[in-house]
Amino acid sequence: MSKKYRVLAVDADPDSNLADALGIEGYRTIGQIRELFQHGRDEMRTINKESWIEGKIYGEVVFEVDDFDLLVMGRPEGEGCYCFVNNMLRAVLRKLMRHYDIVIVDCEAGLEHFSRKTIPEADTIIVVTDASRKGFKTAVRIRELVTELGIKAGIYLIANRIGEGDEGTVAELAGKENFKLLDTLPYDEDVAKADLEGLPVPLNSKVAKRIEKLAEVLICEAKS
Amino acid sequence: MERKKIKVPKKVKKKASVGEETFPFDISPMYEGERIRKGEMYVELGGPKQVGFELVVALPTEEVEDMKVTLVGNDLDELEEGKAHPYAMIYYVAGSQIDPDLEPVIERRNHDFQNFIEGYMHLNQRYDIWVRIGKNAIGKGLKSLTQIAKATMMLFKNEMPFIEKIEALYITEGKLVEKLLKEYAMPIYDERDARVESLHDEDVNEFYSCTLCQSFAPTNVCIISPDRPSLCGAISWFDGRAAARVDPEGPNRAVPKGELIDPIGGEYTGVNEFAVEESGGECERVKLHSFFEYPHTSCGCFEVIGFYMPEVDGIGWVHRGYPEPAPNGLTFSTMAGQTGGGKQIVGFLGIGVSYFRSKKFIQADGGWYRVTWMPKELKQRVERFIPEDIVDKIATEEDARTIDELKEFLEKVEHPVVTGVVRPVDNKRITDGWVKEKEVKEVKEGRAEPATQQVSPSSGVSISPTQGIRLVIKDANIYIDKIVLRKKKNEGE
Repeated sequence: MSKKYRVLAVDADPDSNLADALGIEGYRTIGQIRELFQHGRDEMRTINKESWIEGKIYGEVVFEVDDFDLLVMGRPEGEGCYCFVNNMLRAVLRKLMRHYDIVIVDCEAGLEHFSRKTIPEADTIIVVTDASRKGFKTAVRIRELVTELGIKAGIYLIANRIGEGDEGTVAELAGKENFKLLDTLPYDEDVAKADLEGLPVPLNSKVAKRIEKLAEVLICEAKS
Repeated sequence: MERKKIKVPKKVKKKASVGEETFPFDISPMYEGERIRKGEMYVELGGPKQVGFELVVALPTEEVEDMKVTLVGNDLDELEEGKAHPYAMIYYVAGSQIDPDLEPVIERRNHDFQNFIEGYMHLNQRYDIWVRIGKNAIGKGLKSLTQIAKATMMLFKNEMPFIEKIEALYITEGKLVEKLLKEYAMPIYDERDARVESLHDEDVNEFYSCTLCQSFAPTNVCIISPDRPSLCGAISWFDGRAAARVDPEGPNRAVPKGELIDPIGGEYTGVNEFAVEESGGECERVKLHSFFEYPHTSCGCFEVIGFYMPEVDGIGWVHRGYPEPAPNGLTFSTMAGQTGGGKQIVGFLGIGVSYFRSKKFIQADGGWYRVTWMPKELKQRVERFIPEDIVDKIATEEDARTIDELKEFLEKVEHPVVTGVVRPVDNKRITDGWVKEKEVKEVKEGRAEPATQQVSPSSGVSISPTQGIRLVIKDANIYIDKIVLRKKKNEGE
């Protein structure tokens, strides 16, 4: 996918692990730049602060991998007032993001990003769940919130790490809650092994191949 | 400092071009934010690996040759592809309204305009500039840096019509870039920075507002002046000016000063009018440099909170990172809870750490000479801005943790609050000093003057935990003329 389009992958989970899943090291996070700014700003004199932040993001945070760029949000803010720095960050990121064909945001499994309207312009929201009732409940809550906030994005469900024989139950649950179930991904030995060894998700694994197909479908849909 | 045109050495490789031309590349704001990746890059100029700088210099009109560009060193087609090279961009500008004060304002726009150019990425500022030219731009027919210079100059003249003439000198010759940065550009940058320190409220015609925090504190209006940065510490007058120019209707707007009402407190008609309007009538008067009289509102974002301690007739400051209770028995968060929300609370004041640098720091109330306590960490951070004759008289938690210990310390070091504070701004004596119960107070000539009567340390509430009281009042409107709390006599004897 990243061979055909300009792709930006954003890891918005404070417990950043997208980078690990992709096998990427040596990046700085938005959170680190934000703290650097908070500590250094009194000494900045006439320096333009927005331009300082932009320089840090473009130069040190956006991490160039062979086929795509990665941006890690990192830790949430600490104590004190972040109104000004966050306002600048939003402006810089808005400008950056419009130059990519595809922006994928990996959010933490929660509602924070929706309620804070961090991603109001999403075309598609994918909720990933396992076969548990808890997972489905969260999915339902996310959809409620998205509707409440008036976010006009297609919502899809992907069931992940589903044991053999559970596919039926999952489909039933999804049907009951009126979710569009994109796919039911099986538990994949290769992926689990790679994870244990600290390696990226192997691209030749069964799961990776299926996800590639899903991505093509989603892009088609977003374009239409 | 006098501005002079750079004398380009005779023996170096150079070329010049005058006049307008058509460009093979697109120019549009839609290219802003375009990031050129390593693989897509034709060359890098400046940046982390090579020296580089940008500079705008104001010159008399007869010295500037309009729309001329001189390039010293190799041009694009001679630079090794895929590598980083030195880069200097110097613009001479002239116009009847242009003086050196405007240089940084114009210089800042080089970043904006150059990013309008398709396939050209400009990052950072001054001596940190980092430029990448994309292969796509070369593919479209970009051949020379003179084209870049001309496109930029054209944008300057279109967008900033007060620029009557503009001329550019671009340099890719490393030794010359280095030499000019050191000998020509750095002194100008330093001069600008020095101006920040010497720029005061009276030197400018407008202040800037900040309403970024109104979602938390609807009636809060931050007024940012050269002598008073924002409460959150993030926004200086220069930042306010830059933001207001980019988006005049945004969260940072220009506030015309209007008439000066109180030069010492820092009260202006323009600021008052703005405050009434923006706070929905909640706040009618604001004195920028006063602690007790119409103090600035506090949003909740402040980095430091000031609190009045009537027992010593002095002010203490505590910052967000200090978890212990201050000598008044209250922690930062307790006091912040009472003070925040965009109200004027006499006796408490939220500020940004950088306000400690101000020459007008609470000058109406004695400035540093009224300060009696601050945590050691905070004191160390701002120590170089504290006048030498008072710095050792301000207690930290190592000297005093309670009011009683503080009293003892202040007496020992002969802090001005003990004998009466004379505010440096006009040498007026503003406090009486402590009245000792048994000893007869030394009567000084100031005592007879009625002026001293208007000093009212009666504002502000402070309760020491050593007395075993905890008083929490919420959502109450209380008017108290005076409260006297005394320790029982003969207690414990």
